[in-house]
Amino acid sequence: MELLLAGLNHKSGIPSQVRDRLAATGGPEFLRRMREGGWEEAVALSTCNRLELYAAVEDAEAAGASLGALSRLVESAAGVSLGDMLYTRSGRDAARHLFAVASGLDSLVTGENEILGQVKTAYETAFTAGTTGKLTNIIFQRAIFVGRQIRSDTGISSGQLSVASVAAALAERIFGTLTESSLLILGAGPMAETAARHLLTAKPAKLVIANRTHQRGVELAASLGAEAARWEDFPALLETVDVVLASTGAPEPVLTRAMVEAALPARMGRSLFLIDIAMPRDVADDAGELDHVYLYTLADLQGIVDENMTRRLGELAAAEALVDAKADEFAAWMAAVRAGEQASLRHHPGRSLRRGEVLPSPERTKTEQTPDTGTKGGRS
Amino acid sequence: MMEAALFQTAAALYAAGTGLGFLFLYSRDERLSRWMYNLLAAGVVLHLASLGVRLRDFWAIPENRWYMPINSFFGALSAMTLAITATFVVVEGRHRLGILGAFVLPWACVAAVGAVLRLHAVGGTEIHGLAPALQSWWMNIHPLVIMAAYAVFGNAFGVGLALLVQERQLRSKRPQELCYRLPSIEELDSLNYRLIAVGFPVLTVGIIMGGIWAHAAWGRFWGWDAKETWSLITALVYAVFLHQRLVAGWRGRKAVYTSMLGFACAVFTFVGVNYLSRLHGYLSTP
Repeated sequence: MELLLAGLNHKSGIPSQVRDRLAATGGPEFLRRMREGGWEEAVALSTCNRLELYAAVEDAEAAGASLGALSRLVESAAGVSLGDMLYTRSGRDAARHLFAVASGLDSLVTGENEILGQVKTAYETAFTAGTTGKLTNIIFQRAIFVGRQIRSDTGISSGQLSVASVAAALAERIFGTLTESSLLILGAGPMAETAARHLLTAKPAKLVIANRTHQRGVELAASLGAEAARWEDFPALLETVDVVLASTGAPEPVLTRAMVEAALPARMGRSLFLIDIAMPRDVADDAGELDHVYLYTLADLQGIVDENMTRRLGELAAAEALVDAKADEFAAWMAAVRAGEQASLRHHPGRSLRRGEVLPSPERTKTEQTPDTGTKGGRS
Repeated sequence: MMEAALFQTAAALYAAGTGLGFLFLYSRDERLSRWMYNLLAAGVVLHLASLGVRLRDFWAIPENRWYMPINSFFGALSAMTLAITATFVVVEGRHRLGILGAFVLPWACVAAVGAVLRLHAVGGTEIHGLAPALQSWWMNIHPLVIMAAYAVFGNAFGVGLALLVQERQLRSKRPQELCYRLPSIEELDSLNYRLIAVGFPVLTVGIIMGGIWAHAAWGRFWGWDAKETWSLITALVYAVFLHQRLVAGWRGRKAVYTSMLGFACAVFTFVGVNYLSRLHGYLSTP
């Protein structure tokens, strides 16, 4: 049994004209055709940044020829000659590659989380299509587990990488959850809309939009399922809202210290989080000096984003080492299985194995074919 | 000797648990937090065993029967330590706030170290007969109720400390990892408030019980003995905290400073007053 991989990604290069075609590759029909083409197991990972075909062949000696055929399949899916853009891996290297991909180490934005979901979806699609088997079941369940573990054990995915998500994370450091908080958005431009959409994912109790041109505020509120308030009413709202996000095009600050000060007594000491993402500034700087008031500007938030990115890159070496260890562990396990030993990764020594982690041996996989078994024992 | 050995082992476990609590501040490894609780729980078990031994030895003195063995400085410190750790395990454990260990547990350690120092200073666990005035059922209630209040205040003090740190983090505009590990400002503020809202009535009831006991034992309800005076001051500071929070919206830093002042008063009432009070001094008992 040998694991094979052929593919191309954003690093190796993807011809722009085939991007759409690649993204459409990898459906159940495609996988079944792969199976008919002689690969016992087949999983296709296809996103806008990569197309990777994973296959398993029974006969390890025929692996070389099979790998060539797999490369030609990727080329035919792309419809153009790929040349050096195409990469192939087999055995331990293929496993290592999949672990690195699932961990976000191979992504455009290091440590991003979306790829883990995409790996899971790719596996589930193949599982449902019936094209997975002993090896791919184990390697993909393992990859999903490794992806989770590396994210929790290293800082590779820590910290937000956008201004809006940093702001939302800080709001949670102040209020715990936003589900009981009301949010006020000043402005109805594209920046305000993006930030509002992001804050809505935290499920705030209420979102109010106040815009100088009332009609535009009403329209944005309608499209977001929020409420609109008249511009002249917003200072009074400071008494009840917890988070204010300011993003107007005003040349002068629209939210002054005096306005905040007037609202504070009614707030009874509850914190107020002011987010000013406008250029030039919308919130007077001295408003942030008041007790219980936390003011973050675009520059503050951008500074945190940069810091987070630096920190992630600093964790890269540790994450790579962990991926290597996991790949070695897997290769050792594969070798043991090939030698006919009763092997289980569970008994393999090493710090990374955790209590409750069970990796089914190939024999057991037949009876336990559920896509989720490999995700047990992950981050709690 | 058995009691001393058990207690000191428990104290060592508390210290180790506190150490893990500090490590957990800087590592995201959940195992640290889990082992912190495990060590604390083991410490509490050994501590209870040491109290069991203490009760047996105490019982051996005829006039002490059916009374709590806390009529000495060591006994009181030992009980205090247990109260703080037990409150932490119950309150913060239930809210899964292991991160607060580094802020709360040091105070249990201070009490434990105080007890160990006392142990070695007097060369024993200070088991002696109860003075006639103390041979009352109030002996089993009044000090324990007050200590329970102090333990809750000690936990509130740690929570308040965490709140100050979190506020500093957010005000710095460059929050570090710690900011994302600590509970939110509003959560810490509300926990601080809820702890004090529980501790204050308990302390008040304890003081009133003391008055009733004093009336029975000494013939007067209140005598401005140093312990009485300082416990009243402690209660007043916490009353100010609760009043100002509910009426004037004192939260955050200002509220924490008030509650910390309250805790300082509580500590002084518990320890410092021993040097001032004849009637309530653990140190003046033979």
